[in-house]
Amino acid sequence: MNMPFDPSRRIFLRGASASAAAVGIGFGPSALMSRTAQAATGPKVFVQIFIRGGVDTLNMVVPYGESAYYDIRGAIAVPRPGQAGGALRLDDTFGLHPLLGDLMPLWNDGRLAIVDAVGNNDLTRSHFDAQDFMETGTPGNKNTPTGWLDRAIKMIPGQNVSEAVAFQAQLPRSFMGPEPVLVASNLTTFNLKVGTNWRTEAETALRGMYGAREDAVGKVGRETFEAIDTIVRSPVLSVAPGNGAVYPNATIGTSLRQAAAIIKAGIGTRTIFVSVGGAFDTHSGQIAAHQTELPRIGSALAAFSRDLGGLMDDVVVMLVSEFGRTAFVNGSAGTDHGSAKAVFVMGGSVRGGRVLGRWPGLANSQLYQTRDLATTTDFRDVYAEVARKHLGLTDMGTLFPGYTPGVGVGLLA
Amino acid sequence: MGLTASELARKTALHALNRLGFGPRPADIETVLERGIEDYVNDQLEPRPDGALEARLTPLNNTLRLSTTQVLTTYADSGNQTSSIQAYLDNFHTAKLIRSVHTTNQLDEVLADFWFNHFNVNINDGLVRYSIQSYERDAIRPNAMGKFETLLRATAEHPAMLFYLDNYLSTAARTVNGRLVQGLNENYGRELLELHTVGVDAGYTQADVYDVSRAFTGWGIDNVGRGGNFRYLQTAHDTASKSAFGLQLAAGGQKDDGERVIKYLANHPWTARFISTKLARRFVSDTPPLSIIDRMAETWIASEGDIKAVLRTMIGSSEFWAEAFSPAGKPKTPFEYVASSIRAVGGEVTASRSVVAYLSQMGQPLYQCIPPTGYSDSGAEWLNPSSQIYRMNFALDLAQGLVNGVSVNVRNFALGADLTSPASVAKAANGAVFGSTIGQATLDAATRVDTRITNPSSAVRVSALLLASPESQVR
Repeated sequence: MNMPFDPSRRIFLRGASASAAAVGIGFGPSALMSRTAQAATGPKVFVQIFIRGGVDTLNMVVPYGESAYYDIRGAIAVPRPGQAGGALRLDDTFGLHPLLGDLMPLWNDGRLAIVDAVGNNDLTRSHFDAQDFMETGTPGNKNTPTGWLDRAIKMIPGQNVSEAVAFQAQLPRSFMGPEPVLVASNLTTFNLKVGTNWRTEAETALRGMYGAREDAVGKVGRETFEAIDTIVRSPVLSVAPGNGAVYPNATIGTSLRQAAAIIKAGIGTRTIFVSVGGAFDTHSGQIAAHQTELPRIGSALAAFSRDLGGLMDDVVVMLVSEFGRTAFVNGSAGTDHGSAKAVFVMGGSVRGGRVLGRWPGLANSQLYQTRDLATTTDFRDVYAEVARKHLGLTDMGTLFPGYTPGVGVGLLA
Repeated sequence: MGLTASELARKTALHALNRLGFGPRPADIETVLERGIEDYVNDQLEPRPDGALEARLTPLNNTLRLSTTQVLTTYADSGNQTSSIQAYLDNFHTAKLIRSVHTTNQLDEVLADFWFNHFNVNINDGLVRYSIQSYERDAIRPNAMGKFETLLRATAEHPAMLFYLDNYLSTAARTVNGRLVQGLNENYGRELLELHTVGVDAGYTQADVYDVSRAFTGWGIDNVGRGGNFRYLQTAHDTASKSAFGLQLAAGGQKDDGERVIKYLANHPWTARFISTKLARRFVSDTPPLSIIDRMAETWIASEGDIKAVLRTMIGSSEFWAEAFSPAGKPKTPFEYVASSIRAVGGEVTASRSVVAYLSQMGQPLYQCIPPTGYSDSGAEWLNPSSQIYRMNFALDLAQGLVNGVSVNVRNFALGADLTSPASVAKAANGAVFGSTIGQATLDAATRVDTRITNPSSAVRVSALLLASPESQVR
């Protein structure tokens, strides 16, 4: 992916009969070929990565062009491009944190876009409310019983458990609701662990027990066995990453590696949710925390894109966190809970290589409550644009009750 | 419901064991019935020394009794580390599992778990690793049934919390050459309001968060890497006046600023409601009725946050006992599932690594909850395929004696059964630990095992399948 943006390559890949080998991307196992040949005409997949803890995007997408940034960020400010440890220039205003350098080829390739100053007007600086509001898609309303991705998947025909996949140990709020979801933290150990001499007996008995019940416990049991069936039937899930992609040894890496495998397996997956915890709630010692966490994010996204190769045309990845952090550095070389944040979007028909959204500025009078980056784009406008243009959904009233999304920021072609 | 008096009594006893503890051991339902439900509940509210438990913990005492300073001196790099920290961590985890599985003071242990989770700290977060043992032992456990204010203050002053929520770094603002070098950190102040006391819906503002945080400036740690004790640093305290969610603090206050905030918040009506709701969610139902919360909150105010009095109100409510007959039941969290399963088979715990690994796979790694919310008390949030596959695998391993550190004997699970007869094993286990709540479909499926297979025996396989059953997922 280090080559500069080459429109002819993308057009060529969109030709349905293109052989992957012919374009030199080097897809390995032939098992992938059928899915590969469907690139760009296959089902569209949406991958949402949720960084839990409120990652400080002001130090990921650095507004180096604003002198106010250096006034209020003090010792934790990322230096200007060209200086030691400086930001990587994106445009005249913004630079990427140098530890996210793995993303630069995607940016230069026009495959990665950033929407800045995204938030919502029902402001909460609570991690948990802010996450819930983004996951239900109904800020301010705590009684929404379903997640926005549950409502999205409901609009997509089919009831297969592998349509919606979540990589986390708990069902994420985004998928809460009646639609079946494959929740798995690790696909390779997702099977019954029982001696061969009574394996069939155990599986038959347990399927019988859970199959006989209509309640929530029965439902989760049935989904579990459906998931086993799906995973066991898809040996391609254990195939090594393609194109020499190397994922970081961290949650975001292992989850995205499995997400790529499940997309390549072609088992009807349309939405994938990846939950990432870590040292993101940087009230103190932010520089050290970012030294650990940011390279993981950059290298995981880059590996995912490399791994999927041409299939990325069918995939949009969106990375969000519940809120941004205070514009000011606090007393402990960290930042406290803030408001608007930057959202990263890559793949598919993303009109990449640009920072979208209206930048509100960092002068005191421009900050929200004189402390946080102000919101200029409602997060639902970003979600809706992906839902409409990528997943082809139309009923925005059901997706975002009580809200009429605008046309969006021009994220997707 | 068409239940006989005896069935009714057994169901009620089972409910007490499931909700006030980590579920029945094989003969427990009979024990409770002999004692009488009311006396059993009173026993649980008045914990007594448990010699048998202490004997089980004795092998771990070389680390369990260490102070934070001693732990740092022995195990931390900065304290001339002399031993691998693994033994200390293993013992700490094993002690929790032994207590949950074996103590006769079951309610006290559930409360220790509840309050630790309410005032969550993450063992993987820096100094917390060394101070977490003291935190649970010295701040949480002694106050689990005492006054909430005392408990709240014990957590506020404990280095584990001071470190985890960064308050040890929070000082009055100070600038050098116009650049901020020290100042306020509002992490603790915000979570004190949102999670520990009044709750996120109480209506406090950013200004309240700011002033509550200022009230705790100077509450810190004495020599972070070596001492690990609470220290109030007068020079770091912000002495200007404060307005903390309705409490006015005049200028000139010192440590008493924070103490007054604690007293005020501990007895605030929103706190009474918020924590009563949380207790009811843990003990009564994922969606507890408002009527029981109202009564608990009233008791809270009348008793000035006496936790035991609030629990008495809860357990004395018809809503608590009505849940014994709710067909759905309350799904167990992974820890509840693991502890109750070990108890159900009459298991004996001597080590925990294997169990701890299973809990991580189920999504509830012990003491490793990263955010300060703690793990969800709502059972339904733990029902998902990822957790479920490892629950079933744990049950299958447990019954076969394949979980390291936990010894089981199927005879204890199927008390008095003919172990050569699947039906007899299922009937005995159903009566002894499930209060005959197991449905016909499950019994049919579990007893259809092939008796010609001898390893594992049919009795072990029936036990494994019952432990992995839908009925076993709820309490």
